[in-house]
Amino acid sequence: MSDPVLLINVLLLVLAIVAAIAAMWTRNLLGAVMLMGIYSLLLAVEWANLFAMDVSYTEAAVGAGAATILLLTALTRTGSREKEGPKLHWSALITATVTGVVLLYGTSDLPRFGDPQAPATIHVSPQYVTQNVGKVDATETDRLEGDFGDHVPNAVTAVLASYRGYDTLFETAVIFTAGICVILLLRPAAGQARRREDA
Amino acid sequence: MSESVVLRTIGGMLFPYILVYAFYVQMHGEIGPGGGFQAGVLVASAFILHAFLFGKAATDRLLPRWLVDLTMCLGVLLYIGVGIVGLVQGSYFLDYSVLDPAHPAHAEALGITLVEAGVGLTVASVILTMVRKVNGELE
Amino acid sequence: MLNYLADGLLLLGGFFAFSGSLGILRFPDFFSRLHPAGTSDTLGQLLILGGLSLRVLLDSPDAGLSVGKLIAISLLLFITTPASTHAISRVAHLAGLKPWTGEANNDGEATDE
Repeated sequence: MSDPVLLINVLLLVLAIVAAIAAMWTRNLLGAVMLMGIYSLLLAVEWANLFAMDVSYTEAAVGAGAATILLLTALTRTGSREKEGPKLHWSALITATVTGVVLLYGTSDLPRFGDPQAPATIHVSPQYVTQNVGKVDATETDRLEGDFGDHVPNAVTAVLASYRGYDTLFETAVIFTAGICVILLLRPAAGQARRREDA
Repeated sequence: MSESVVLRTIGGMLFPYILVYAFYVQMHGEIGPGGGFQAGVLVASAFILHAFLFGKAATDRLLPRWLVDLTMCLGVLLYIGVGIVGLVQGSYFLDYSVLDPAHPAHAEALGITLVEAGVGLTVASVILTMVRKVNGELE
Repeated sequence: MLNYLADGLLLLGGFFAFSGSLGILRFPDFFSRLHPAGTSDTLGQLLILGGLSLRVLLDSPDAGLSVGKLIAISLLLFITTPASTHAISRVAHLAGLKPWTGEANNDGEATDE
């Protein structure tokens, strides 16, 4: 535990697990929404600790921002306490435990974080880090003309938008579909629309 | 409409700065952390703040509903359009270098900027629509 | 000497932030808990960001842009933290929450719950 990055990692992840368990355990829905916001914030700091700035930014904006707002506005339309149910849900506990154990067993074969001998570091990352502009080699004249003649500084955006452009296209399509579904699901019923036109 | 003078003043002061910052994050996606997703969420949160402070009618006058629906579709269409330009020019789908055959590196950067702009438009519109719908603006 | 000043500002800001969190746990009543949450946090972030900008001025040669960004962040937090505290206390007052008056058996907990 002498490595400060590892120490902060462990501290943040323990706090995040505690927040998640508390969010599940409480029956007060407002408290649960706030605890999910705290969980997202702790995760955003964790990503920043691992030097993943883009992911940390997105997690803070979406998790601690938009998702909390959505949950709070949804909370205005429901009751404030969860319905009483059994304290311990056995089938859910067993399913979650089995899945967690299988995942832990699977990740024990992955190379260590930041391992210089890992296949991803040897074969794939140098191509992305030394990339020119996206997938294209800059010609001689371009190389002399300021920004982007030589190198896109943010490798994450280059990978996201150029090397893996299909993925980003379908992510955008998924977000668009989610918006369409919300519009379709929350239309007024046929009777209400007619009554609104008459009024 | 929030009746508190303090909140209306400070929120009204903050609103343009949030939009400027969102534009900065969108355009700086290739240099630093940022890009389409983050900028879209920031734009949506600026308009949500405006709606909470000044009422839904004022926000509807500022940003009509048909415009939000239009930009939701335009974002995805922009992304696919940039891809189809590559097909039309004889190369593969989503090839950015055909946008400027003399300087392929600049064309790649232009392609990345256009694509991120499309993503930002769609994300902003969808999040704004979702919060509006859940907040009770049916139809 | 300025090194010690930068570190001292950071530590002092951390102390104020910690005391703010301690106050939230220990104060008896909702309205009195808002004081450490709002004012102590604001002072803490002013000191911490001031210490960080001093540190960045001392360590790196061209630090003007970073100092400008830190000042902008500090200004934003300075404006929005008191505004959000005002919003919270206003909603609590409109919902009918009464402040704690110091009687023996009334520990000032929220009336609903």
